[in-house]
Amino acid sequence: MYTCFVMALIWACRKSGDNKPPAGPTPYTISLPAHFPQPVYDLSRNPPTVEGVALGRRLFYDPRLSRDSTISCGFCHQQFAAFAHFDHALSHGIDNRNGFRSVPSLFNLLWQKDFMWDGGVNHLDIQPLTPISDANEMGEDLGRLIARLNADKKYRSMFDGAFGPGEINSQKLFRALSQFMATMNSFNAKYDSVLTHKAQFSPDEQAGYAIFQAKCAACHKEPLFTDGSFRNNGLPYNEFLNDAGRMRITNSTGDYLKFRVPSLRNIIKSPPYMHDGRFYDIYDVFEHYSSGIEQTPTIDPIVKNGIPLSQEEQRQLYFFLTTLTDHSFINNKSLSEILIYN
Amino acid sequence: MKPCYLIFTLLICCMACKKDLIPKKEGNFKLNFEHRVDTSLLKLGTTTYKNPSAESYTVTAFKYYISNVYLVKMDNSLLRLPVTYHLVDESKPESKSILLLAPQGEYRAIGFKLGVDSSRNVSGAQTDALDPVLGMFWSWNSGYIMAKMEGKSPVSAAPDKTLTFHVGGFKGPFNAVQDIRIQTPISITVGPDREPAVTFRTDLNKWFGPPNIVSFATTATIHSPGEAAWKISVNYKNMFRITNVTDL
Repeated sequence: MYTCFVMALIWACRKSGDNKPPAGPTPYTISLPAHFPQPVYDLSRNPPTVEGVALGRRLFYDPRLSRDSTISCGFCHQQFAAFAHFDHALSHGIDNRNGFRSVPSLFNLLWQKDFMWDGGVNHLDIQPLTPISDANEMGEDLGRLIARLNADKKYRSMFDGAFGPGEINSQKLFRALSQFMATMNSFNAKYDSVLTHKAQFSPDEQAGYAIFQAKCAACHKEPLFTDGSFRNNGLPYNEFLNDAGRMRITNSTGDYLKFRVPSLRNIIKSPPYMHDGRFYDIYDVFEHYSSGIEQTPTIDPIVKNGIPLSQEEQRQLYFFLTTLTDHSFINNKSLSEILIYN
Repeated sequence: MKPCYLIFTLLICCMACKKDLIPKKEGNFKLNFEHRVDTSLLKLGTTTYKNPSAESYTVTAFKYYISNVYLVKMDNSLLRLPVTYHLVDESKPESKSILLLAPQGEYRAIGFKLGVDSSRNVSGAQTDALDPVLGMFWSWNSGYIMAKMEGKSPVSAAPDKTLTFHVGGFKGPFNAVQDIRIQTPISITVGPDREPAVTFRTDLNKWFGPPNIVSFATTATIHSPGEAAWKISVNYKNMFRITNVTDL
């Protein structure tokens, strides 16, 4: 009898659910490549789950995140273009509006410490707020969007599944989007296979790699192919856009005309190039560095005197850059667009 | 007999599971905020006020963050309360009264940050008072708007003669988060069964100087971090005054 009571006591003190199969969302393991540095994003503060990633994917492709239900995140961030906007110089938005910069490609965001061409956004979680609320992009008020999600039965149940029952708030919205974006990683290009001794460069690619290391790698640092810095790369000033670049964020004249150094991964798949999408062909980019540098006070010392590239070097560099195309990434079915009917 | 024994054991069982049986020696205290322009009570909408440069204006929105509240003990040591964030908003009467929990004791001053500390400006999506849905977060240049005043003035050169003062910025020399510390005229005693209350009078006109005199004819819009926003924050650092302490 006494044993029975002791048993009851122990049972009563147990935390509920110990004997049941684990309720709640299923953890989602994100595989990180061994040859990359430690991610900047702290996954332990927003642990990805199967349900959260699926919810984030639905949100990413749902045009109802925009004011007039026409523009989803995936509208401008196309998978086949490494989530850049293929063939579009400037970002598009609702009501036939245009933004004033090009759509950046999206991948390896876990390693990025700030976002946008000018680095104005300091955390992946709040990055989506910018396109959602920008009048030239999705043009929606965050409060209205949260109310719309709360009124939607399907979203209510998906949010409950990912984050536990309760009202949908902006933190859950942003964390779900981050969970999906945390799965958009590109580290299986031919370059990576060569690095991990599973493949070999062709002679042209090898020659291009040597040119890259000598002339490009100072800013486009391996293995992410960007050093995350902001630089003035000598682009002739675009007087129609009057874009001050990073100075808009820091108010420092030293940052005038400086923009993020973009990653070169998947670069051949994501034209046009530069913050204003002015170059549609990668050879135009080569020519710019070789002979098109405009001198302004904040010009980066590395490009100040130009980076001469002969026709042959340009050809070889092109071959090397094609080894940065990650076919498993741009064809990854778990990242592809889903059509949303209800 | 047997059922009785069972109930008794279950009671013990329940008590054993309770985390803490010792009552905590804590008490509530309240911070009340009363918004004025000089001596007149602030009324949103059509009431006309005059700034220190004698320019008339009306107010449509007035809100600011209070966070990181601390109390000063009688021996002048600081007692930092668990960090909380509150958006005091003239349009929401209930937001103008903040209820806090503090350890029992006697205190001679109150301090807080007017704004949101830098760590919460760089930590991603937040909830409650810090939810960006409240319109107090800059999306294009991440960071909280620490304090916001909107209105109209006939001398404003902005479209529709609006006034827009969105003050923020948490970096470098133009950090707009201001540390406020105010001595209470009488000490306040916190403890069980007590609820002392301190009433602050918040004077909106202090925003426009001194020390940095703001004329609406030349400055009607501030909506980015930087020197101009910081100068306003240096002004509004002086906007609080304790007008009443209820030590009951």
